[in-house]
Amino acid sequence: MSSSNEATVSGPPHAHHWDPVTAYHGSKLGMWLFLATEILLFGVLFTAFAIFRYLYMEEFHHASQYLDWKMGAINTAVLIFSSFTAVLGVDAAQHGDNKKTFRWLCVTVACGFIFLIVKYLEYSHKAHIGLFPFIECNDHAQFCWDSVEFKNEFKMYFGLYYCMTMLHALHVIIGMGILTWALLKAKKNRYSTDYYTPVEMGALYWHLVDLIWIYLFPLLYLVD
Amino acid sequence: MSAHADGDDKNYLNCETTLWSWISTVDHKRIGLMYLFTITAFFIVGGLAALTFRIELFSSGAQFLTPDQYNVLFTLHGAIMIFLFIVPGIPATMGNFLLPLMIGAKDVAFPRLNLLSYYIYVVGAAMALIAIFNPFDYILSGFSAEQAFNPADTGWTFYAPYSVKSGSAVVWMTGAAFVLGFSSILTGLNFIVTVHKLRCPGMTWNRLPVFVWALYATSVIQTLATPVVGMTLVLLIMERVMGVGIFDPSMGGDPVLYEHFFWFYSHPVVYIMVLPAFGVVGEIIPVFSRKPIFGYKMVVYASVAIAAVGFLVWAHHMFTSGISDWTAIYFSVATFGVAIPTAVKVFNWVSTMYKGSISFETPMLYAMAFIFLFMVAGTTGVYLATLAVDVYYHDTYFVVAHFHYTIQGGAVIGLIAALHFWFPKISGKMYNEPVAKLAWFLVFVGFNLTFLPQFVLGMEGMPRRYFDYLPEFQPMHRLSTIGSFINGFGYTFALLNLLYAAVFGRVKAPRNPYNSLSLEWKTASPPSHHNFDEDPEVDDYPYAYGTPVEGGGHH
Amino acid sequence: MFRYLPEQASEVAPKVDWLHHWITDLSVFFTVAICGAMLYFAVRYRKRDGVDHETPRIEGNNFLEIVWTVVPTIICVFVAYYGVVIYRDMVEVSEDPDQVVINGRGRQWAWDFQYQNGKVTTNEFVVPVNRPIRVVLTSTDVLHSFFLPAMRVKKDVVPGMYTYVSFTPVKEGEYHTFCTEYCGKDHSYMLASLKVVSQAEYDRWVNDRSAELMKASMSPAKLGAKLYYEKGCNACHSLDGSKVVGPTFLKLFGTERVFSDGSKATADENYIKNSILNPQSQIVEGYDAIPMPSFDGQINDNEITGIIEFLRGLDGSAPAPEQPEADEEKGQGEDLSALSPVERGKWVYENKLCITCHSLDGSKLVGPSFKGLYGREGELNDGSTYVANDEYIQKSIMDPASQIVKGYQPLMPPYAQQLGDEDVQGVIEYLKTLKE
Repeated sequence: MSSSNEATVSGPPHAHHWDPVTAYHGSKLGMWLFLATEILLFGVLFTAFAIFRYLYMEEFHHASQYLDWKMGAINTAVLIFSSFTAVLGVDAAQHGDNKKTFRWLCVTVACGFIFLIVKYLEYSHKAHIGLFPFIECNDHAQFCWDSVEFKNEFKMYFGLYYCMTMLHALHVIIGMGILTWALLKAKKNRYSTDYYTPVEMGALYWHLVDLIWIYLFPLLYLVD
Repeated sequence: MSAHADGDDKNYLNCETTLWSWISTVDHKRIGLMYLFTITAFFIVGGLAALTFRIELFSSGAQFLTPDQYNVLFTLHGAIMIFLFIVPGIPATMGNFLLPLMIGAKDVAFPRLNLLSYYIYVVGAAMALIAIFNPFDYILSGFSAEQAFNPADTGWTFYAPYSVKSGSAVVWMTGAAFVLGFSSILTGLNFIVTVHKLRCPGMTWNRLPVFVWALYATSVIQTLATPVVGMTLVLLIMERVMGVGIFDPSMGGDPVLYEHFFWFYSHPVVYIMVLPAFGVVGEIIPVFSRKPIFGYKMVVYASVAIAAVGFLVWAHHMFTSGISDWTAIYFSVATFGVAIPTAVKVFNWVSTMYKGSISFETPMLYAMAFIFLFMVAGTTGVYLATLAVDVYYHDTYFVVAHFHYTIQGGAVIGLIAALHFWFPKISGKMYNEPVAKLAWFLVFVGFNLTFLPQFVLGMEGMPRRYFDYLPEFQPMHRLSTIGSFINGFGYTFALLNLLYAAVFGRVKAPRNPYNSLSLEWKTASPPSHHNFDEDPEVDDYPYAYGTPVEGGGHH
Repeated sequence: MFRYLPEQASEVAPKVDWLHHWITDLSVFFTVAICGAMLYFAVRYRKRDGVDHETPRIEGNNFLEIVWTVVPTIICVFVAYYGVVIYRDMVEVSEDPDQVVINGRGRQWAWDFQYQNGKVTTNEFVVPVNRPIRVVLTSTDVLHSFFLPAMRVKKDVVPGMYTYVSFTPVKEGEYHTFCTEYCGKDHSYMLASLKVVSQAEYDRWVNDRSAELMKASMSPAKLGAKLYYEKGCNACHSLDGSKVVGPTFLKLFGTERVFSDGSKATADENYIKNSILNPQSQIVEGYDAIPMPSFDGQINDNEITGIIEFLRGLDGSAPAPEQPEADEEKGQGEDLSALSPVERGKWVYENKLCITCHSLDGSKLVGPSFKGLYGREGELNDGSTYVANDEYIQKSIMDPASQIVKGYQPLMPPYAQQLGDEDVQGVIEYLKTLKE
């Protein structure tokens, strides 16, 4: 940024070329557009999944039984709860309560961690029984991804499963990053009733991450 | 208001001169220029690839390339020109530079995001370079000679299952296209918010320049279509790396599904390339005719209509692919829906010249060339939309000629026209007019000589992407090769002329060399760091040229 | 103007061209009209003497704009309509029982065709004129596209899926077939020729199975030698010990091979089979510059056995077989000139597959026995009678379909292309010795 703007650094960003109200609405518009692109991004995967589920109904049903629906359900609950705490964080920021904002966002990020740990446990279990690409075949594994016996439909199901859940997990990590950035600002008492854009944007993004999981969970775990 | 307002000689180019001030800039004008230099470099690379294989095609029979080298070259030409040059083309360069100036804003809505888009583009470009030179395969193979030069050879469409079976560079190339897509998405998003939120007082939607409208429509496509191809390319990479089999029929997958996903993006992307060029022509013709653009509202609605309908016609690239007859019929009929607004635009541009006071500076010559070339592109598009005729023409040289008329004759000519038109504003200098006109002549003649014969080849049944061809096709191939070199010289002259004027030029440009009414000409040439010395305000649309007359229509 | 389409050789072609030429004429008209108007305005309203003249502020004209929205719309509706109508003609599945159905298969980089009677060809196919033809297409590897310009039809050839083209040829002649979906290295050489012939010639051609029968009855080593040239092995592997792109085949069998990763193996049957199907899995040291393509899917087990036997025979003890020319093939490397006519006839009987269908002991196989044939009298299936004299026998060999003995099927292929006068004379003399 050029020297002439440095005077405004302590204030909200972009203040040099648009007023705070427009900046807030602009950010919100930008965020919603971005969320639309995210939905389209996952839309491709949903479409592919729908087509192949229709074609290979039985095999997909069979494959889905190797997922632990209880783990999925725990994660669903964790994410829904974290969305709720994110809303509380936004509400606190809108009231200019930096302390509460900080606290609620911390809870939200912690939920993100729990989600990732559960996901890790699921993945490592899959790897253990051989339902994971890149794992060398071994004797105690139930499956072997690269062997000829491994069914193509299984490969397709788990390929899509890993593609979707890893992409989603990446979104969780990005979301946690954004929220961490937002909560550090709360720590520095940056928010007021006039300025709480980062919290709101972070929370919007987090809701999307949550929403996508709410679609993924029944699609992948509850194929029946 | 700005600290620089008092000094006349302080502008966005010389307010800070360190290298760091450029690579860390959030100024939309500088980012636009950085894009311009980067894409021009890739334009040269892509162009050289094309000239190389045009030499190969000069005669029937194998000349100096192997089939594999030829396949690599046309893939590089296509992938570089599409993903690295023409998609960012006008929006990221001229759009970045002009959009805020034209609507009276100090910058785009998210300047830092804008810089981020540029660097994402750079990362994508670097991945494309890796795909071209493929150093990892070379190193991993213990410097085996066969891996020394082994780029992607799938064609820019990366059709499965060939792209799943072909060499490893495909992963890098598709990865590059994916990353470049994100750059495109963020630019589009930035522009949409800018147009919505940063118009200066008085700049209502009905007063936006047509170029801004075109950018707006383009941005919507960029934002909504790009994620789809991004994810499709990720699936393709997954397929290669994990062996998932979604597009591989031997594993129960469906290669036609890939085509659907691919064209869902890659058809709208044609409008990403060409709509901004429509906007450029819509700016140039009124200025050099001293007439309002004829039917402003129609021109604007047509842009938006093309963007919208453009989403609904993708499978017209797949009439022979094995889709059902009813699907083919729907997509054929829908495609004609794009033809109509396009025709309307052409009628409006030509009518703008009626009773004008027309002068023929280089930008106007390019704009008029554009109208001719786009007429050819548009009418040949009708053949391809017509189901029974497209079956014959699909994947022949007719298609090659058609899309080069659309993309080179449309988008590239549009970009060159824009570069000449706004050159005084960008550089603060005037270029050498006679040299520019000579270059225009070479470009126009060379271009037509390259691609008109390709229509004839297509009619004769010559398929595209052929390393070698039957002897009866040779005469037209020779004309085409000769034309391509004239065309190449034309672009070289045009670019060198501009570069020379920018660096060594002595003639300083005035604020408004063409007496344009558009907002970007109201500020200094080149503009100051903050664009405008005083906050701008407008009270009419920028085309109120000429003397008001009775029955002159209404704006 | 712009009439460059190739000749119209199918029923649908004139229809496609009719629409095509309409679009061309409309396009030329509009392009000339609009660009003409643009140039006229440019000249008529040019700025004179460097001074702008006064211009009217015309911002639009609703009437004009409606006209030039509606007129193109009407034209588009018509063009789209006829495009769809003719397309439906083109893809219509014929119910005609007379239809000829051919199975086409695309592979990198050749076209295989299989007829209903099992006849198989590569890169050429023959169809009868004036009968509906349907080529059912699929691919064994990547996408291809089957394009018959003269017939105005094209269809992508998709692995794992069946597509088809159908057309009714109306003109005899030879036409190009192109692959129009990019498929890798030799995409531009993936051509086939289509011959449209009379019904009679088609019947003759499709029933002529001699080439395949010949291959099936060859000794494995001979088959291997034939394949060595047919499949293009000779481009990279020499028979005289010289190093070309790949290792020479001379004295290769049974030797120890050292691979680029340092491992070793003996060149036995399994090694050769693997080298043909998965050449990348074991590259001999010093030969990794140009990788050999896999022949998986392009060669059957019988043919692989042939190549193994061929390599086994290349121990340096006998001169390597030359590429068989069309003429030489008749003799298959043996010197026939020294044979007496009777011996020559016996040789033809044994080597040209007569033996498959005609017995020497009077038993009835596919065709009549040769025992006691010469001089026999009998009835043909058209009711006329015959006497098995020299003339009759010669005609039976050259054009068997013209005179079928009652009780037999018209299955014998014509030998006009394969036998010379001496061969035929020999057969006649040989038959004379088989009199009862």
